[in-house]
Amino acid sequence: MTKPYFLGVDIGSLTVKAVLLDAGQRLLTRGVVPAGYGGQEAAEALVARLLRECSLTPDEIAYTVVTGYGRVRFAAADEEVSEISCHARGAFYLCPAVRTVIDIGGQDSKAMRLDAQGRVVDFAMNDKCAAGTGRFLEVMAAALDVPIEQFGALALQSKHPVTISSTCTVFAESEAISHIARGVAKQDVAAGLHQAIASRVLGLAARVGLEAEVMLTGGVALNVGVVAALSRQSNQRITVPPDPQTVGALGAALYAWHKGRR
Amino acid sequence: MVEKRYKKLKTAAELQRLMQWHYTRIRLPRLGRPLAWVTSGAPVEILRAMGVIAVYPENYGALCGARREAVSLCEAAEAQGYSPDLCSYARTSLGSVFQSERAPMGGLPQPDLLIACNNICGTVIKWYEAVAAHYGVPLFILDTPFIHGAFEPHALAYVVAQLEAMIRFVERTTGRRLSMKRLERTVRLANETVQLWSEIRALCKARPSPLNAPDLFVNMAPIVVLRGTEGAVRFYRHLKAEVEMRVKNGIGAIPEEKYRLLWDNIAIWHHLYRFYNYFVDYDACFVVDTYTGGWSQEIPEGQSALMEGIATAYATVFLNQSLEYRSRLMERLIREYDVDGFVMHCNRSCKPYSLGQYAMKRRVTEGTGVPGLIIESDMCDARAFAAEAVKTRIQAFMETLAERK
Repeated sequence: MTKPYFLGVDIGSLTVKAVLLDAGQRLLTRGVVPAGYGGQEAAEALVARLLRECSLTPDEIAYTVVTGYGRVRFAAADEEVSEISCHARGAFYLCPAVRTVIDIGGQDSKAMRLDAQGRVVDFAMNDKCAAGTGRFLEVMAAALDVPIEQFGALALQSKHPVTISSTCTVFAESEAISHIARGVAKQDVAAGLHQAIASRVLGLAARVGLEAEVMLTGGVALNVGVVAALSRQSNQRITVPPDPQTVGALGAALYAWHKGRR
Repeated sequence: MVEKRYKKLKTAAELQRLMQWHYTRIRLPRLGRPLAWVTSGAPVEILRAMGVIAVYPENYGALCGARREAVSLCEAAEAQGYSPDLCSYARTSLGSVFQSERAPMGGLPQPDLLIACNNICGTVIKWYEAVAAHYGVPLFILDTPFIHGAFEPHALAYVVAQLEAMIRFVERTTGRRLSMKRLERTVRLANETVQLWSEIRALCKARPSPLNAPDLFVNMAPIVVLRGTEGAVRFYRHLKAEVEMRVKNGIGAIPEEKYRLLWDNIAIWHHLYRFYNYFVDYDACFVVDTYTGGWSQEIPEGQSALMEGIATAYATVFLNQSLEYRSRLMERLIREYDVDGFVMHCNRSCKPYSLGQYAMKRRVTEGTGVPGLIIESDMCDARAFAAEAVKTRIQAFMETLAERK
């Protein structure tokens, strides 16, 4: 008799994430890969790899839920669920005390307020603009010639952060470049950029009301500079789960578990 | 595929004929009758009673938007230096003035006079000034003070004086006199139109609702453009009869109505059916909206106080009132129409309608327990519409509604 397993896939603009759960909601494996063009090929390859690692065949997956921007193009899914619902479900599973989830992904940032049952009471997403997203940080790290992985740590070294007034990615980049041209230290420009992203995201979170406990998910949660700036500006402790990038995929897998057991 | 989910009204052909006739008629030889460009909130009854033909640049803008021809006209206005942040009705209108060869129907016929009433926004003043300068025609600005709390007697007296000044202006520029008898008759017809429109909207309290938002938006054209005419009254009688039949036979506007929603703000003309069909995919119907209710104010009739009646009806339109008033209006509609959720269009074009939406959203949810969603777009400028981002928000919102059921 085949054992039922449950798959959650999150196809974002920059990365693809997948989480595999067993019948007892236990995590079997998870993975993150660059999305490449469109994301669906990367997603199929990632799922195949995870299945191989666990010595499973596709037939043993009872149910698959897909989320993220590429969700409509993933043929193997039984159902697609929005990122809002998936991030909320994943975050609440990891920590039932969570009432606010902030997710900063590649091209979207979003804030969700949950009730004590983990249901989404309200949510807000960034407007049609890359400011306050992972893409913003990537562009700025490139402008400062710093590897993205070290960008947050660099910002933390700053003693005198500059003020970046533009919230537009394009204008913020030219603002950062003019600071550098005037001889401002790299870490001070980096810190200014991190503060700008934090205030932008907190403005979004204020729309739904920033209630403790606050969890930060998405790839940008790996950036210590953003976490520190968010915590300082909001006076809140910011919880970052292990492997924050996969929280949406975890939520999708949990949806799959609920749907697939019936 | 898309059209299949949309249940077409039998009166659609009649509506099309009526509006086509309007746009044809304004181009025919007018035998000396003057033609005015007016804002959607101008007291058109007075103009009709004086034999002035009224055309509506805002309706023309909506028409260009729905035909997806507004963007090129907006670009024509932007090329002349008008900011892309300016209202897209204004840009569409100005673009059609500057480059009529690009404009549907060659633009609107040249005006003899202009009447702008600022009860809907302040943009109309500068927009109409630009049109006045372009054509070299006189402009009258009818000023209706913003109502923060109650419509005070001194404000009423002021608006009445404004109306009297407007009548003198029209008499002076056209050489025509206002007959009170004709005005009373026009007001009667306008009230009849408004009454029918209110009754049609109220029929959507039925389950399932006989109409969805696109029906309301398409069918609002005569209430704006032809209010106070026999043609509009006749059309709305027929529409009402058809909507009543739908209610009687339990026919809904969408195949299956699971969720009842309220819409706030101007329609997204360039994605009219596609956008509202995103909601139909989740069995959600917009049973009521705040926008098409903007033309449901009857003018109190009565010999002596007619001017006071007109002043009150036009000065108290919801866009000229406080956020508090508008929140209460939404709360009332949510209760009356038994609504599960509301969607507010954060309309880049329409600042007075969109400013304060986050505060209103919070307030309305606190007052009713009903959740809301804010969608960013623009009524005419399709460049401000990001389909994927919009769909993601709609999906997330419908999932939260589903969890509540």
